[in-house]
This record gives sequence, C-alpha cells and structure tokens, in this order.
Amino acid sequence: MRRKTHSLQANQRTYAWLMGLPGIVMLITFVVLPLLLGAFWSLTNKRLISPVPTQFVGFENYRNLLSIKTLQVEQDNPEKIREILRNDSEYRGYRELFRMKGPHGTRLVLASDVVFLKSLRNTIIFVLFIVPGQGGAALILALLVNRKIRGRNFYRATYFAPVVTSMAVIAIVWSFLYNPSQGVINVLLKKMTFGKVSDIGWLVDVRYALPAIIIVSAWQATGFQMVIFLAGLQNIPVHLYEQAGIDGAGEFQRFRYITFPQLRNTTIFVVISTTILAFRVFTQIDVMTHGGPENSTSSVVYYAVEQGFRQQRIGYGSAITMIFFVFVLGVALLQNFLLKSEKAID
Amino acid sequence: MKTVKLVVVMLTALAICGVFAGGSGETPADGAKELHLWFHGGTADETEAMRDQIKRFNDSQDGYVVVMTEIPGGAVAGSGYNDSVNAAAVAGDLPDILDLDGPNLYNYAWAGYLEGLDGYMSEQLRSELLPSLIDQGTYRGKIYAIGQYDSGLSLVGRVSLLKKAGVRIPRSIDDAWDLDEFVAALKALQALPEVEYALDCKMNYGAGEWMTYAFSPVLQSFGGDLIDRDTYQSAENILNGPKSVKAMNFLQWIFENGYSVVSPPDDNEFVNGKAALGWMGHWVWKGYHDKFGDDVVAIPMPDFGSGAVTGMGSWAWAVSSQSKHPEGAWKFLEYILQPEEILAITDINGAVPGRSTALEKSTLFGNGGDLNIFVQQLQKGVAVPRPKTPGYPAITTAFYTAMDNIIKGSDIQSELDAAVDAIADDIRQNNGYPVQ
Repeated sequence: MRRKTHSLQANQRTYAWLMGLPGIVMLITFVVLPLLLGAFWSLTNKRLISPVPTQFVGFENYRNLLSIKTLQVEQDNPEKIREILRNDSEYRGYRELFRMKGPHGTRLVLASDVVFLKSLRNTIIFVLFIVPGQGGAALILALLVNRKIRGRNFYRATYFAPVVTSMAVIAIVWSFLYNPSQGVINVLLKKMTFGKVSDIGWLVDVRYALPAIIIVSAWQATGFQMVIFLAGLQNIPVHLYEQAGIDGAGEFQRFRYITFPQLRNTTIFVVISTTILAFRVFTQIDVMTHGGPENSTSSVVYYAVEQGFRQQRIGYGSAITMIFFVFVLGVALLQNFLLKSEKAID
Repeated sequence: MKTVKLVVVMLTALAICGVFAGGSGETPADGAKELHLWFHGGTADETEAMRDQIKRFNDSQDGYVVVMTEIPGGAVAGSGYNDSVNAAAVAGDLPDILDLDGPNLYNYAWAGYLEGLDGYMSEQLRSELLPSLIDQGTYRGKIYAIGQYDSGLSLVGRVSLLKKAGVRIPRSIDDAWDLDEFVAALKALQALPEVEYALDCKMNYGAGEWMTYAFSPVLQSFGGDLIDRDTYQSAENILNGPKSVKAMNFLQWIFENGYSVVSPPDDNEFVNGKAALGWMGHWVWKGYHDKFGDDVVAIPMPDFGSGAVTGMGSWAWAVSSQSKHPEGAWKFLEYILQPEEILAITDINGAVPGRSTALEKSTLFGNGGDLNIFVQQLQKGVAVPRPKTPGYPAITTAFYTAMDNIIKGSDIQSELDAAVDAIADDIRQNNGYPVQ
C-alpha cells in the first residue's frame, strides 16, 4: 500500500516536471537568461556591430542615464547659459531638463540624458492616464452592453474589434484621422465648434502628441477590459439586485452598494494588468511619432529599442531596461501591497 | 509505463516538427550552388523587376542559383530591413548577397561583415561606373558595395504655374537659383490662388533618413555640415556652428511662414496640385510626369551661398564576408551591372543609371533628357555623400531628430547643440571608431 502511494507520488512528480518543462525552458531562455545578460551588458560598452572588443565600463551607463546637476544663473541670457554649458567641463554634455525662476535668478536643472528622463516621465503620465481612463471607460461600456437591449452582441463585438486588430494597423489609420488639415477628427471638431477649434496638430504639437497617443491606446484596448468587467458583472448574483429592489434601492444605489463592491476582484485584476500592459507602450509611438516632437512621446521602451538596437548601443540600452525593470517591479510590488491590504479590511 | 508512453509521444511530436521544418528548404538542381540574396522591399514593380533579373541570371548559367528573400520596410528609414540585417550580422546569418542603403555600408564594412570587391572588379567596369557610386561604395580605400543606380535630389515645379508667377526656370546646374531667388519664388508661388502652399517637403516621411538625405544638403549649401569630414571625430562648431544655424533658421522660416507644412497627409501634395513646388527625390518623378506631362519640370537644387548641393547614394549591392561562394556572388553582381540590366531596373524606379554605357541609352537621363540635371549633379561634384563613418547611424539620428524639432518650432541652437552632444557621446562610447 505504502509503496504504491509513493510510486504514485513519484509518478505525479515526473508528470509535473514533464508538463512544466516547456514552460520552464521558455521562461529561462526568453526571460531569465536575457535578464541576466542585460544586467551584465549594462556594465559594458557593448555595440551591436563592431570589430572592437567589448569593454567593462562599470556603472558609467547608469551614471549617464541618471545624472542631474543644477546651475544657478543670475540672468536668463541664452547666450551666456550656452557659453557655460559648452565650455565649462563640469557641464559638458548636460542639457536643460527644466528651469525654475526664483528671486535670485534662474535655477537650471540639467541632465546628461534628458531624453531618458523625459521618456520616463512620459511613460508615467501615460500609465497614470491610461489606467483610470481606460478602466473607467471599460466599466461604463461593460455596464451598457450588459443591459438587455436589442443587438447587444453587435455592440459587444464592435467594442471588442479594436482589440483583435494589430496596433500597427490602428496606428497608421489613426495617423490619417489625426492629420491636422484633412483628418476626420479635426474636421469634426471644426464643424462641431463652428470653427472655433481648428487645425490642432495632434501628432506634431508638443502639447497634443502624448494625449493623442493616450487616446489611441485607450480606444484600442478598452474592449479587452470591457470583456473582463462583463464577465465580472455576470457573476454577480441576481438575487442581490432583487433584494435591493425590495428595499427600494435606486439605480445609483444598486451600482454603489452592489455592483461596485462585487466587482472588486475584477477591478484589482484590471488595474494590475492594465498597468503592466501600459508600461510596455511602444508600437503606436514607433509608427505614429517616432518619439517626437521634442521627445514628448518617447517612452522608455521606445528609447531602449532606439538606443540599444537602432543606435546599436547594446550596453546603454541594457542599462535603460535594467532601470526600468527595477522601476516597474517596484510599482507592481506597491500595487500588490496596497490592493492586498484593502482586501484584508473586507 | 505511462511515463515511457508520454515520452514516446512527445519525442514523436518533436520528430514530426523536425521533419516539417527540415523539409521546407529548396534543393538546387544538378548540383548548382545556392546563393541567398536579400532585397529590401521596394515598390511592387521594383521587386518584380528584381525577380526577373534573378530569373534571367539563373537561366543564363548552370553554376549558381540565386534565391531571393524580400524583406519589407526598406523604403522607410530606421526600418525593418536594417533591423533584420543588423540581427543577421550579429547572428552570423547574413545572406551571400544583400543590398544596403548607402551610408549604412560603413558600419558593416568596418566590422568586417563585407567582402572587398576590388579584386573582382574589371578595369572597364570601374571606369564606366558613375564616380559617385565608387565614392559612396568605398570605405578606407576599398570598395564594398556597388549600386546599379544612384540617386539625386532636385526641385520640381510646373511650367504653367512658374510662368504665371513670373519665376525664372533654371535649366542646368550652372544657372541654379540663389537664396534670394528661391525665396522670391516661394513668395510668388504662395500667392497663386491655384495652390495651397509653395513647397512640398515630404515631411509625411517623418523623422527619418529622408530628412538627412534631403536636407543636410541645405546645411552644406549654407557652408555647414554634419561632422568634420577629415577626422569624423567631432561635429562641434560644424553642426552647431553659425553656418549650420543659419541653414536651419532658413528651414524653420519656410515652415513657420506656411511655405511648407510639417505634416502633409501623404506623398501626393504636388500631384494633387496643392503644393506648387516639390523637394523631390528621383523616385517620384515618374508619377509626377504621368500626371502633368510636359508641364512638369525638374529644377536644379538652389545655391544657398556655398554652392548647390544635392544628396546622393542609394541602395547598393554588397557581398557578405560570410559567403561560401563570393565568386558566384560577384558573377551575379557583374550580371546585373550590365547596361541593359541596369536599365531594366532604372526604367521602373526612375533612378539614375549607374554606368555610363547605360546612361547613354537612357532617354530620361541622357543628354537633353528631362532629368539630365541629376547626372550633371552627380558628375560635377554637386552631390555630397553622407558621412562615411561607422558612426553614421548616430549622426543621422541626431540630425533628423534636431531637424524634426526645429521645423516644429524648437530653439535651433540648443537642438543643434544636443545633436552635437549625441554624436560626441556615440563617438566616445565607441572609442572613436578605431581602425582595425
């Protein structure tokens, strides 16, 4: 008897390994190994195509990416500032990130890699808008298509259609829609506002480029979160609503006290998954703006590909991704902690 | 037992996969050697013409069979084709024969991925090739790539509109417009009711190689440049020097005053009649001519003060140093460099035929042809190659990023300073691209 159990266990263990093997091999090959290689290369000056042997450069790539200095100037004179930046060896290679005006003159904040810091900022803004915006829109859509209306399957399919369309295709189509003079969006805006709003340079104006990217991205992915919310909605027991109806609860109260609390786990899943997906933003930027104008749409992933692959600076690109890895890991852990503690109160 | 069964099933599955994977390759007939060729996805017609050339070569002899793989995205800068070639070079998977866009050549040559072609090339071929082709294909005294054709820039306009606006039409590179005349032409054409704006700069191509190719000549014509061409070690006081600043100032002025637009919807602004002039690469001429017939005219590049300058360099053929049959690869290159084969492709894509014997037969580029100014530009030193250094990718990115920002209104000096710093950073990271 005993022996039999043992062999069954052993048998199952073998099965477990066998079944897990393809996944484990893939994880090691495509995740763990690249991560370790990236960590190693980030300490070197490795170039993609070069006859020169790779050299170990310590933390220079990281220093380059993250260095920030400040410079106090009395007068806001561009020529004077330029003279200091180009001739003073301490500030060589530094560029203005932003400036603060104070009573004693202007304080310039300089960075050695302005584009990286801007990319990081853009990515954070992107995530901060996408997660609530896209999640909220998805919830509203899910509530709408959950109603018993005619042709609701048609609406569900319509809202889901962008999700199954390639982002590259969507980005090209939206580039046409966004065209300042002939794009549908500006034409409609012009008609609707009787000419007051016109010729917005969606993808070419520093102020509108990132919002334009955010809108496309939200539009493309909302359908996915909608389906998840829809599944969550359909799991809510009908009797809760019936009971609330007997108690005289109105439409809003039902949503506030039944629907929303019942959707908590769904919401947590949507928030975490959307956050992680949003951090990866790349394709729409690569197709629509190439990170411009003035780096206002460059994301960290876009910058890493640009530096690591197109500029062939594997070492530098690796350092970018390592910093980003630590950053995203931190965000994920924080989210995990916050959302879990909320659960514990329940 | 079950475990054994499972393992057997899995191994069988693997074996089946292996059979299918292994079975997909073609085997050449009669012991002919297979040569792999990569072609950047040009237009459909270009690809078709290329396919025909390969077929003619394969039929013409028994020793080699050329197999073409078309990799899309080549026409757009910073695109899939370069990415694929980079990846293949690192992985040791380069095909025997591949085409490279002009200035990307030097990085591969420097890194030793390309076969030197001097030893294969006959004296006659060398003497008949356009000097610009030899120049562009040479890195540190050795030739690594030969194009079937070269490229060029010019302005393009419509005779009827130019006459109506009272603008003189220059017919050869010797009487090109100067800065004042060009500005006057822009203003006069802008005022015409028939057109929306004066000059189509094809900014729909986006921040990419088009900007460097088409507008670094403006820098040079103003007396500036992208980098110090003696050493290729620094761009300080050149790319951000006063002459380059002046050039970029002029470009910014064009866009800020509406003489051109930063985001045209597509390639057709000139053809649709919306723009009066076009900043034109040879490849769009055919479409323009089809539409307007003899009303369309190629106008030589203006002289902004330090001589007229146009871009040059196009896709050129190279042989991988990893190739097992370089002599076969050369045989193929020699075949497609025959005058009639050159014309077979340039008749389709409208490029400047790269060999004098082919040029003579070309109605478009020969003496008196509509595009003869392109040949003049290439032969008389108006064309300037893009910097011949392995650091070119960093240089072009720095420039087109700056230019993209500048035409959208950024501060010129600080953008050019940033470009210079980006180039310096790249050169420093690569220890100055030492000669091996």
